[in-house]
Amino acid sequence: MLDSLKDIIRKSSIHACLVSTGGCNGCDIEVVALLSPRYDLEQYGIYFHNNPREADVILIAGAVTEQWREKLQRIYAKAPEPKVVVAIGNCPLSGDVFNQEGSSVYAPVSDFIPVDAEVSGCPPRPSEILAAILAVGPDAIAAKGRQAKGDQKAQPSEKAEGEEKK
Amino acid sequence: MSSVIWYLYEFARKSWAEKFANARTDQEIMETPSRFRDFPQVRKEYCIACGACTAACPAPMAIKLVRTSDNSHEEGITYPIINTRGCIRCGFCAEVCPTDPKTLLCGENHLIREKFTILPVDKMFVIDDYLCIRCKKCIKTCSEIAGAISEVDKKPVIDQSKCIGCGECIKNCPVKGAIKGIFIENVEEQKAIINMVVDTLEARIEADQDKIMELEPEEIYKIDFPTQELVDEARKIIPNDELIRDSIEKVTDRLKMRIVTWDDEKCTNCRLCVGECPSGAITYDKEKGVQRNPDKCLRCSICYQTCPFGVAGFYVARFLLTETALEDGVIKITVKPSQLPIGVD
Repeated sequence: MLDSLKDIIRKSSIHACLVSTGGCNGCDIEVVALLSPRYDLEQYGIYFHNNPREADVILIAGAVTEQWREKLQRIYAKAPEPKVVVAIGNCPLSGDVFNQEGSSVYAPVSDFIPVDAEVSGCPPRPSEILAAILAVGPDAIAAKGRQAKGDQKAQPSEKAEGEEKK
Repeated sequence: MSSVIWYLYEFARKSWAEKFANARTDQEIMETPSRFRDFPQVRKEYCIACGACTAACPAPMAIKLVRTSDNSHEEGITYPIINTRGCIRCGFCAEVCPTDPKTLLCGENHLIREKFTILPVDKMFVIDDYLCIRCKKCIKTCSEIAGAISEVDKKPVIDQSKCIGCGECIKNCPVKGAIKGIFIENVEEQKAIINMVVDTLEARIEADQDKIMELEPEEIYKIDFPTQELVDEARKIIPNDELIRDSIEKVTDRLKMRIVTWDDEKCTNCRLCVGECPSGAITYDKEKGVQRNPDKCLRCSICYQTCPFGVAGFYVARFLLTETALEDGVIKITVKPSQLPIGVD
């Protein structure tokens, strides 16, 4: 009873937390553009925190720098289950222009925490970020919640993530 | 109280309620506009495997040249592939792509050609922003003649529609090459002359391959090359002495020729270089061993950096044209071993 109620609520809203792990902040600015009236993120039921303890979706922007390696894992651990990680931009995927020889970035992010969806681009368009968040949630989050309980019916999540991953 | 009633009345209006209930982002905002510069498109059939795109790319791992394997009736083709996880959509690769039509398409910037009015002269004058020292001598000179050069953003800029092509600005410019007079006609003939000059100079250097291979790391090998032969050849292409002189001077001014030498005696047929060569110039044959085809070679130096036995040598040649009459000029060639590290991936 309580679980089904939780599922309904999870399907209707997403709480996202933006973690910038040392990039150029271009992707952060694109996320801010999402919050602006032009794109108006909250009409889709997505709400932004800077608190991982309240987050369903963790948005990672930035190549992982020396200081972020352990902190990133701590942040991931702090987010309550079910949680989804979306990598925004090329930095978390490959390190982008920062991944030169001799530089101290530790991209990709998937070396540290599991990544569910990727948005490539430097920076990606706000609409692409929005599409990625909507692709992994809220259904995937709800399905992940069921998975965590040991229920095997959770198939739609795989489909939604697979589309974005490619 | 009256204001509360007014608000209730306002919110109860049908148009307000409809707008409130149907509020959504305009479709136009969510769509990617056509001017958006997306990831580069690759049209592999046009690629000439020059590697300019990989050199211009600012992001590591974004662009890579690959080659399909040869089969019995066709040679493999070389083309760039874009890694969207690394590409920053800057469009530099499309900008530098020298093929026509372009192998790489990215945005519209690289398709824009500068407009200029066709002048009654055969030269167009341009200012090289990189070499210009902003002394404004050209502006001063031109203001008395045509007034075509003006200062925009602290840089001298030539208004092509006003320029009369007198060439006074070049005479007064204190930096060699900061203002260039470019021949806008006979482009094909200019290309032919440039190719002929470069090929002749390279053949001359490669004739001395034995001496070049013995050079110590800091040693320089010098050759004097009289221009008589080049001028005679060029006159057969186009009998225009001014254009020939201009072409030869520009070639020798900026050319940094890469010379690859090949010492077959040192080769142990380990075939490390065969797989590394991006253009397929190095091949292996059971009877002949490892062979290099100079016509296919890009002079990229990968074989030199790969070979553990020093079979491939890599040298850089520079040129200087002495300031004399066209026929009895001398091109001074200097060949120097390259400072590239060996065995670095």
